[in-house]
Amino acid sequence: MSKTPLLEIEDLCARVADKEIVKDFSLTINEGEVHAIMGPNGAGKSTLSYVLCGKPGYEVTSGSVRFKGKDLLSMSVEERAREGLFLIMQYPVEIQGVPVTTFLKHAVNAVRKHQNLPELDTMEFIKTVREEGKKLGITPDMLKRPINVGFSGGEKKRLETLQLAILKPSLAILDEADSGLDIDALKVVAEGINAERNEHNALLVITHYQRLLNYIEPDYVHIYADGHIVKSGDKNLAIELEKNGYAAFVKEQ
Amino acid sequence: MSGLLQKNIDLAGSNIPWLEGLRDKGREAFILPTAKTEAWKYTKLRDLSADDFVLSGTDEDKSHGEEHCTCGQGECHCHHHHEPQTNLPFAGYEIHFENGILQTLAFDLPKGVMIKPLMEAVFDGDDVKKYLGKDIDLASYPFAALNTAYLEEGVYIEIEEGVILSKPIILINHTHSCHQNIMAYLRNVIVLENDAKATIIEDFEYTGEEKSRYFNNIVNEIYINKQAKLEHYKLQNEAYKAVHISLSSVRVREGGFYESFCCQKGANLARNETKISLKEEHAEAVVNAVYLMNGWATIDTTTDIEHLSPNTKSQQLVKGVVGGNAKGVFQGKIHIAPNAVKTEGRQLHKALLLSDDAEIDCKPELEIYADDVKCSHGAASGELDKEQLFYMRSRGIGEEEAKRILVEAYLNDVINQISQEDIKTWMLSQATINQEEK
Amino acid sequence: MDNKQQTPEILDESGDKYKYGFTTDIASETISKGLSEDIIRQISLKKGEPDWLLEFRLQAYRYWQQMKEPTWAKLSYDKIDYQDLYYYSAPKQKVAPKSLAEVDPKLLSTYEKLGIPLKEQEVLAGVVAVDAVFDSVSVATTYRAKLAEKGIIFCSISEAVREHPDLVKQYLGSVVPYTDNFFACLNSAVFTDGSFVYIPRGVKCPMELSTYFRINAQNTGQFERTLIVADEESYVSYLEGCTAPQRDENQLHAAIVEIVVLKNAEVKYSTVQNWYPGDKNGKGGVYNFVTKRAACRGENSKISWTQVETGSAVTWKYPSCILQGDNSVGEFYSVALTNNYQQADTGTKMIHIGKNTTSKIISKGISAGHSDQTYRGLVRVSPNADNARNYSQCDSLLIGKNCGSHTVPYIENRNKSAILEHEATTSKISDEQLFYCQQRGLDEETAVSLIVNGFCKEVMQHLPLEFAIEAAKLINISLEGSVG
Repeated sequence: MSKTPLLEIEDLCARVADKEIVKDFSLTINEGEVHAIMGPNGAGKSTLSYVLCGKPGYEVTSGSVRFKGKDLLSMSVEERAREGLFLIMQYPVEIQGVPVTTFLKHAVNAVRKHQNLPELDTMEFIKTVREEGKKLGITPDMLKRPINVGFSGGEKKRLETLQLAILKPSLAILDEADSGLDIDALKVVAEGINAERNEHNALLVITHYQRLLNYIEPDYVHIYADGHIVKSGDKNLAIELEKNGYAAFVKEQ
Repeated sequence: MSGLLQKNIDLAGSNIPWLEGLRDKGREAFILPTAKTEAWKYTKLRDLSADDFVLSGTDEDKSHGEEHCTCGQGECHCHHHHEPQTNLPFAGYEIHFENGILQTLAFDLPKGVMIKPLMEAVFDGDDVKKYLGKDIDLASYPFAALNTAYLEEGVYIEIEEGVILSKPIILINHTHSCHQNIMAYLRNVIVLENDAKATIIEDFEYTGEEKSRYFNNIVNEIYINKQAKLEHYKLQNEAYKAVHISLSSVRVREGGFYESFCCQKGANLARNETKISLKEEHAEAVVNAVYLMNGWATIDTTTDIEHLSPNTKSQQLVKGVVGGNAKGVFQGKIHIAPNAVKTEGRQLHKALLLSDDAEIDCKPELEIYADDVKCSHGAASGELDKEQLFYMRSRGIGEEEAKRILVEAYLNDVINQISQEDIKTWMLSQATINQEEK
Repeated sequence: MDNKQQTPEILDESGDKYKYGFTTDIASETISKGLSEDIIRQISLKKGEPDWLLEFRLQAYRYWQQMKEPTWAKLSYDKIDYQDLYYYSAPKQKVAPKSLAEVDPKLLSTYEKLGIPLKEQEVLAGVVAVDAVFDSVSVATTYRAKLAEKGIIFCSISEAVREHPDLVKQYLGSVVPYTDNFFACLNSAVFTDGSFVYIPRGVKCPMELSTYFRINAQNTGQFERTLIVADEESYVSYLEGCTAPQRDENQLHAAIVEIVVLKNAEVKYSTVQNWYPGDKNGKGGVYNFVTKRAACRGENSKISWTQVETGSAVTWKYPSCILQGDNSVGEFYSVALTNNYQQADTGTKMIHIGKNTTSKIISKGISAGHSDQTYRGLVRVSPNADNARNYSQCDSLLIGKNCGSHTVPYIENRNKSAILEHEATTSKISDEQLFYCQQRGLDEETAVSLIVNGFCKEVMQHLPLEFAIEAAKLINISLEGSVG
């Protein structure tokens, strides 16, 4: 297994509206790895993903984050995305009047332009999107609809997964902190994500329940509380957690 | 003497320069709106100027003897003193007006609450001077100008800092003139200091001949200071030929809350206007109303809410039901000033037309100068749901009864928002359709 | 609209004239500045008009003199001196550029973005006359031949006055009487030219009638007048304007569009308005005071207005539908975008008179920069309009802190069986939406234009496809400089 670091977080502190949420958080993710961050509700797990993506309103107060060796924190939201950081959001926002394909085409071409690649041919692009969509149970009709508008929770997640498959990021963050997804949808999404895994990309899964990890098997599991990792281990830690609850670990510190 | 603005009327305190100066401003500013006045586009005042209204309580009013009386009751009661009567199903500090003239104020008030006749407050040199007319641009509000010209009757209410009044203050006005057309002008100044809480109820009734024609003009000036809260309820149940024009001007400071509900069901021409300035951050207003009218009346609900600071919030829900030849008017404006970001303004007006000759005119308006806002308005009008009506009739409920039930259900979702249980119950009992065609 | 004015000669004359580089020669003669009965007589004389039309103009003029310029709209602009204008063919002051190299590079870059072919760019910039570019002869000939076959009349209103006086006399001013409003009255007195369309009974017009090809009529249509009559069972789709920015010396525009729709007929009228909006400091720009109205006179008649308004410094425009015929339908789809110091007060009127009449209003307003925009609309249901229906949706989007957006609907219902619904919202582009787009790699400007175009989509889809694509590009260009 290669040990090229993809994401290196060192002593990261961040706040939202004057409230410290992330405190001295450190984590390194190498190429080819799957990490899971688990933590009780309200621990600020989603905050971590927003901080990494640069969402306005989330302020980094100290620490550093390197992504593929570059300073991530100095990049704009879209630069981070173009570099290959992708966030599968808990609640993807609706945008009236913008069809899925139109949106995706803009995104793909923005990323390709960043990589000095030519724009995709429209027909070729539509073909690819349809094929990928089919695997995820997304019909051509759904692709014509405005993005996320009127889609069910499960459908929205499928659309997020479709974007992952098309944009092929180096690091995907799956923010599934506490949103409910039915088992069938969960399976489809997990399969979609697994299909995209290879030795050069990595995955960070943020979740409250262990059940997701039955479908996406992690190499490392971290327990997150009070703004940082309180314990790390392999997938067995997640199983232990499911049995004993968070309280045991949170107390340990 | 005729015309609304009359000369040579003796008013108390005419020797006080600032007061007389204010009245002069009112006299100068008053112009009867015409059909071209945008603010009165839908509420026509044509026949108002032709009325021979006599100012209530003047010698001219009193000089009319019983020979002119149209009561038909054998004995005229117009100038007799009426024992204050009330049908309200709850207790409170009751302030009675007869034909717009304040009767005695007889109750003990808790510490930190002052209620006095307006002129007494003027003579006593109370703070009333700094509040009177401060927030009202007389050129834009002709009837407030007229009210200012006649400024004399009314009360001054001041609730000191942190005082929470558990019982409501109830302003009851009974009009019972029948031998001639009287007009009455009421001016109330209500001040809630920081953290104070109070409830005000206005109740307009008539006890004289139901055909009597009279004109009530009311201006309330309400000042809600920091974190203070005022609940303001009103029932307008004037005689069916009466004219009722009222303006409540409300200023809300930081964290203050103004919540109002008005039910209008009387008068031939009625306008209940509310103008609110949400001056400082987190100021909030809820302005709800219902109206129901038959006959030939015009019934008007007008609001103007100014969001002047960030994080202010307003909400309006107005529902009306009009039958006969009546006309319902709703004009609602939400204004957001340039710096008033993170504000929320919501407004909804809905109306039912019950007859072929009824009419609804509606002008909701958004005037927005800040980008980070959430504002919306909605308006809808239509008739009673025929399916629902049919369903009820198929279960044996008579058509009129079915209509009444549906109308009440329609209005009740506004009334049910009233938080005080006894006031809600009272309003529910009042908001019923008048079956008589007048 | 005006310099894309119907040029009768293109449709009218034989192809030979084009070979000799024929252009409209109206501009060679002008009448002195100012407005008087004498000037109006001169205009009428030059146009060789019949007495009844001169009389119509004079009556309008006399009435106009007693009228006051309206001030109720939420617009502020310098007072217009009506005696300081030319009412007949303002002289061309500009010397035409000899090649594109002499043309303002900004203008050219805009053409580029709109994807206008080079040859067309030359025409728009005034380098060459239209006939040198288009294969006008064949276009015009095929056009005319096709239309004539069906008995459709499509010509300038001047020509129509000469060739079809009865039709013009019957309908001119019947939808917008000269007494209607200040600007309509002025137009009635001094209108110079415009289009006339007559679709005979039972005829579906086989092509979109467009003013797009007629871009060489410079300066004729400051006071444009268009009259469209759709006879029973007929159909026509009419496109007005073009997306290319038009440099225009005329500051005041006061046009009238009158449409008569008879039984079972349908008219679709689409506009893209991109007059010069003034510079980014609000200097210059066109004042656009337009009266557009359609009368659905027959049963089951239908009128649909679609407009994309991005130009002009000041816009005052309320395309209206008079729904007289039972079951008639009126629709209004509008996108108005104001940026910099532009002002627009626009909306519609739906007057329900017939039974079972329905109307729909979809208005999308976008304000950016220091601009100010008002939606003003009227829905009126008359006592006899049983079962009338209206649905109105007015949404406003604000971009930036210095713009204003206002919504002023008037809703008047005098019939209990009518169902009227109005909804309006105002908001800015949400931070969440921007973040989402940016997280997928889009820059802010692209994200904004994507979101804005999405916001407008419901309206844009009512434009003919080609027009819609151009209009979308136009919106992106008009948004430039509003982000960040």
